[in-house]
Amino acid sequence: MLFRFLAAFLLLANVSPAPAAALDSKKIYQLNEDRVFQIRVLNRETGKKSSIGSGFIVGDGSQIATNYHVIGQVILEPDVFYISYIGKDGREGELKLLGLDVAHDLALLGANQPVGEAIRMSPLPPRGAPIFAMGNPLDLGLSIAVGTNGGILNQTDDSRILFSGSLNPGMSGGPTFNDQGEVIGINVATARNDISFIVPSRFLTDLIERAAAGDLNEAGDLKLEVARQVLAYENSYIDQLLANDWPDLNLRQFRLPGIISPTVRCWDNSAKLSAIARYKRYQIRCTNKNHVYLDEDNKFVGKLVYEYFWLESDELNPIQFYNLYQNLNKDQIESKMDRDIVSNFNCDTWFIEVSGQELKSNLCRREYVEYEGMSDVLFTAALTGYRDRGFFITLTMTGVDYASTLPLIQKFLEHSEWLP
Amino acid sequence: MAALILEISTRGLHRYQPIESETTTVGRALDNDIILSDPTVAPHHLKIIRYGDDSVEIVNLSDVNPARINNQKLESLVTATLPVNLEIGRVRAQLLPRDFAVAPARPVAGSGGRGHLFGHAFWTVALVLACLVLGGLDFYLNAYNTFKWADLFKYVLRETVLTIGIFVLALSILERLLVNRWEIRQLVTTISLVYLLYYFLSNLAEVLDYLFSASWPSTQFRLGWYLTIIPCAIALYLINISHLKKGRSFLLAILIASPIAVPSILQSPELRALMDDFSSSARYQNSLSWTNLHLRDRVGIDTFVEQARRLEPGEFAD
Repeated sequence: MLFRFLAAFLLLANVSPAPAAALDSKKIYQLNEDRVFQIRVLNRETGKKSSIGSGFIVGDGSQIATNYHVIGQVILEPDVFYISYIGKDGREGELKLLGLDVAHDLALLGANQPVGEAIRMSPLPPRGAPIFAMGNPLDLGLSIAVGTNGGILNQTDDSRILFSGSLNPGMSGGPTFNDQGEVIGINVATARNDISFIVPSRFLTDLIERAAAGDLNEAGDLKLEVARQVLAYENSYIDQLLANDWPDLNLRQFRLPGIISPTVRCWDNSAKLSAIARYKRYQIRCTNKNHVYLDEDNKFVGKLVYEYFWLESDELNPIQFYNLYQNLNKDQIESKMDRDIVSNFNCDTWFIEVSGQELKSNLCRREYVEYEGMSDVLFTAALTGYRDRGFFITLTMTGVDYASTLPLIQKFLEHSEWLP
Repeated sequence: MAALILEISTRGLHRYQPIESETTTVGRALDNDIILSDPTVAPHHLKIIRYGDDSVEIVNLSDVNPARINNQKLESLVTATLPVNLEIGRVRAQLLPRDFAVAPARPVAGSGGRGHLFGHAFWTVALVLACLVLGGLDFYLNAYNTFKWADLFKYVLRETVLTIGIFVLALSILERLLVNRWEIRQLVTTISLVYLLYYFLSNLAEVLDYLFSASWPSTQFRLGWYLTIIPCAIALYLINISHLKKGRSFLLAILIASPIAVPSILQSPELRALMDDFSSSARYQNSLSWTNLHLRDRVGIDTFVEQARRLEPGEFAD
């Protein structure tokens, strides 16, 4: 009897094993304090820190994962800076770059010898589950922040997890654990007020595999590799945009592309007019959220902004109306950059027929000094021929392949329809 | 040698002293025949001796700021050739024969009568009124909110009256220093004309910008305005109204125009764009016109995309 009971118990145990006990933050900290490091970018001349972040052991035990933005300075100036790690116990050493995933802000580094046991990785726990972010905030020492999983954000092209917890500068590149002590993501950014972002661990798994295949030519110009990765991501992103069915959005007498991707959010941006204004203006501004960190100088690229502006007046005469209309038609790409970073814009003008209407259009492009093939593009198109109404579209994209943006502009124009 | 005249020039004004006696002394002391009150002139600076009608001798008497005779430091000069240029301290003078030929009389500006722009106060008032009306029109055409007369007066006062007033004040003081005259009426007329010209030309440049879908009309206009039209207007004023010599007038015009031109060029977006070899802003052709007159053909979307493929990359700055 007793034997049969024990056998039945073991069988049941095999079929549905009891879940492992959830770990608390204290236990997770204790288990991983020797496997999470401070990652430092040091000046070769002074030996002092230029920037800091966090990293943790992955792969074969000699590999350390962190964020690309933590070590980006080394790629810009490899002769001036180098990367090193330092553990809570004082262990330190130099690291070399093994792999990059610029689009998802990840970097894989290698030590000269194994530095500890790799932390196991795991998929994302259910939304609302507790998760724990470890890192070195503000160079104050290793700490752990407790929060909850807010799920994958589709507005970031599925490349970010919302972490309802507090990340601080210095924690970037550190691991985020589930309650089993497994890494579910890598700390990457914060919007303050307990709104932080994590890179899903699946991108790190892919990076480790690619690094094992040796796809990074460390001896080559890494800026070319950064440009290649950013452009590959942006091209793929634009292809997705082109493949999507675009919903409509009506603005007065134009039917226009609406939210063209889950990565895009549109807002009413109409300025509040005073009661004495003799005109009406309506403005809709749409922007994407899946920006890509490029480097310290450029910050983020991959910004897509499209804006619609409608102006009308029954009271202004045509000269007054066009003085106002022209004054408003001066959109620019928002980032101010220096000559060391980008070229001048080159612009040209066309009068394009769109849905039976004439739009005075300007297309401008500028190139990046350090990143071959990468451009910023500005397109504007203003309605002409009416004395009491005006309309313009502005479309800007940063850090993209110029040629790839033309089909997108074309689709925008083809999707724009005049409503008589 | 016939009777002589000593022409003494001070700050653009000339006075003439006949040299009739055999010996004439020049200096700051009161016992001289010709007294020059300039502190750089010695009490007894120069002596002029006539030798009948044949020749004249000029003798320097001063160790301090010795007189320069025909641009040379000479103790004395005996000559039968006139004129003789003299520098007595910092006073310039010329020894001339009484029959020395002078230039024909220059007509007073506006002496042509009422019909002449500079001839009558009517035109001054008319042009000032035209500027005020234009200032008001400019305000009206740029008023996008409910029209208020109080705002119109404030704008006209600030933009038109103040602009014209400042230029009249500054240039009339300059004119007083240069030629010892106040010619306020002529100055107001000229500045009003220039104001009107600026308004019409700047608007014309904007129309041309749109017509050619290019920025060069505005750029060329502003460049031409500050570097050519303003200096030329000042030079013409100095030549025809102040009656200064041409070379001096153009030099003065450049000097007077520079404080206006340099800040204006530095502040003008079009001209800064021309001078800077780098801008982080896209300098595109954003002008819009209710007349919609343009020389570029209208194209379809496909043609636009095809042509846009050939848009050259931006140029890197040095």
